[in-house]
Amino acid sequence: MDRAEIFAVLKKNMTEIIGGARGREILETHRLLQDFDADSLEVVEVVSRTMKQVKIKVSRIRLNEANNIGELLDMFVAAQEAGAAPAAR
Amino acid sequence: MSRRGATDVVVTGMGVITTIGDDPESFYRALVAGRSGIGRFNAIDDRVLARVGGDLSGFSLDAYLERHGDGVGNDTKALMAKLLRGSPLSTRLNAASALQAFRSARLLGADVDTRRIGHVLGGHNLTVSYLLENAKTFDEEPEFIDPLLGLKSWDTDVLSVTSEILGVRGPSFIVGAACASSNVSLQCALDLVRAGRADLVLVSGAPMEISSLLLQACVLMEAVSFRSFNDCPQRASRPFDARREGFVPSHAAGALVLESERHAERRGAKVFARVLGASSASAASRHAKPNFASQVAAISGALADAGIGADQVDYVNAHATSTPLGDAVEVAALKEALGRRAHEIPVNSTKSMIGHALTAASAVELVATILQMEHGHVHPTINQEDPDPELGLDFVPNVGRAHPIRVAISNAFGFGGLNSSVVVGAP
Repeated sequence: MDRAEIFAVLKKNMTEIIGGARGREILETHRLLQDFDADSLEVVEVVSRTMKQVKIKVSRIRLNEANNIGELLDMFVAAQEAGAAPAAR
Repeated sequence: MSRRGATDVVVTGMGVITTIGDDPESFYRALVAGRSGIGRFNAIDDRVLARVGGDLSGFSLDAYLERHGDGVGNDTKALMAKLLRGSPLSTRLNAASALQAFRSARLLGADVDTRRIGHVLGGHNLTVSYLLENAKTFDEEPEFIDPLLGLKSWDTDVLSVTSEILGVRGPSFIVGAACASSNVSLQCALDLVRAGRADLVLVSGAPMEISSLLLQACVLMEAVSFRSFNDCPQRASRPFDARREGFVPSHAAGALVLESERHAERRGAKVFARVLGASSASAASRHAKPNFASQVAAISGALADAGIGADQVDYVNAHATSTPLGDAVEVAALKEALGRRAHEIPVNSTKSMIGHALTAASAVELVATILQMEHGHVHPTINQEDPDPELGLDFVPNVGRAHPIRVAISNAFGFGGLNSSVVVGAP
C-alpha cells in the first residue's frame, strides 16, 4: 500500500468513527483529536483499526509523538516499509 | 395499595427481542400461535454435541431500527450506531429492547427528571464470545485486539451503553443471579421505587452470548438437549413432556419500565400491569440441582410480599426449562406453595417456544406473562406429545385458550440454588 492508499483507509475509518469528520475534507495538516472534536477513544479506535487493516504496527509510545495526520501517516508508511508487523487475520 | 402501604409500582413500558418476535405485539402473536423459534446454531464448533437453540447472532441494529425506529430521534439513532458499533451481541440486544421499553413507556424525549430514573440490569458473564474472539486475536497479534476491549469486556458496559442511549442518570447497577438474574433485578428495581430512591426504573434482561465453550460445558453437565433432537430442533424444548432431556439455550432480551403509580398517573402513562411482589431465596448450594424447599420459599415469599393468597393466583409462567429433574421439582414446589390451586390454573412454559434465554429469561417471560394477562389468553406449551404422569398439572398442552388473569406468578430458578418469583396483577 502506498501513502495515498493508507491515507484513504485512515480517512474512511475517521469518517465512520468520528462524527465530526463526516462530510468534511480531511487534510494531512489536520490534528486528529482537536480538529474534528473527537474523543480519545475514537482516536484509539481509528488508529487501531487502520493499523489492523494495513497490517502494520507502530508502538503506542511513538504514536503519541504524531502532531497531525501527516506525521501519523509518516509513521504508518515507515512501519510498512520496515515490514514490522505480521499479517493480520 | 400493596401490603407495604408505601408506593404502588406499575409496569409502564415493555420491550422484547426473541427469535419469534422482536416487539411485544409480534412476540405475543407467535406465542399464541405456538410457533417455535428453535433452530441450529450457526457458528458452533462441530465437536460440540449440542447443536440446537435460539440463535440471534445475526441481529442487525440497522434492520431493527428500520422496523422499530418510529419515534426515535436521529440523534438517538446516531448515538446507538456509534456506541453499538462492534459491540458484543449482548450489548446490542439489551440496548435495542430497552429502547423499545422506553418508547412504549413514552419516555423518549419526555419531560421527566432523568436523575430519578434508575436502571437495573439482570445478567452477568455476558460477553464471553467476544472475549474468546479477542483472545484468539491476541494469540496471533496482541496489537490487533479490539482497542475498546478494556471497556466492552465489563458487564457494566452493557448497562452503561444502554443508560447513555436513554439518558438514565439515577441509581444504576447489575444484578447477577444466573438464570434468575432478571427476576432478581426486577425485585431490586421494585425495592428502589418502593423506597422512593427512583420514580422509574428500567429493568433490562441482558442475554449471554452462547459460545461453543458454554455449550460444551453444558453438555458435560448433561444440562442441555443434545441426544435426540439435533435433527428436529423445534421439538427439542419440551418442558413437562416425558421425553424432555435438557434445556435449549437461546438468545433473547427483555426490558420493562417499573414506575411508581403516582408518577405514572401524573404523566398519563399507560399501565400494562401492577408489580405486586417479588422474592428470592438461596438453597445455600453451588449445585445446578434444583432445590424444592428454596423454590417453595421463593414462591411463597413473593405471594407474601404481594399480600396475595394462593387462591387468588390465576396463572403461572413456569421456569420450566425442559430438564427432567428441574421441571419435576418446580411442579412439586408449585403444588406445595399453591396447594389445590395449583391444580385449578394453567401453568405454561414460554421456553417451549423460545428456549432458555438464561440471564434474560425471566425478563422476557414476564413480558410474556403480562401480554397474556392483557389479552386474557394463555399461550400453549408446545411439544407436549407424551405427558409425564408424575407431573399432572394443566400445562396448556399444544393449544392456547382464553383465560382471564388477574394475578400471575413468574418463576425463575438459577444454577447455584438462586431462586426467585415475581407476582404481577392486572392494572
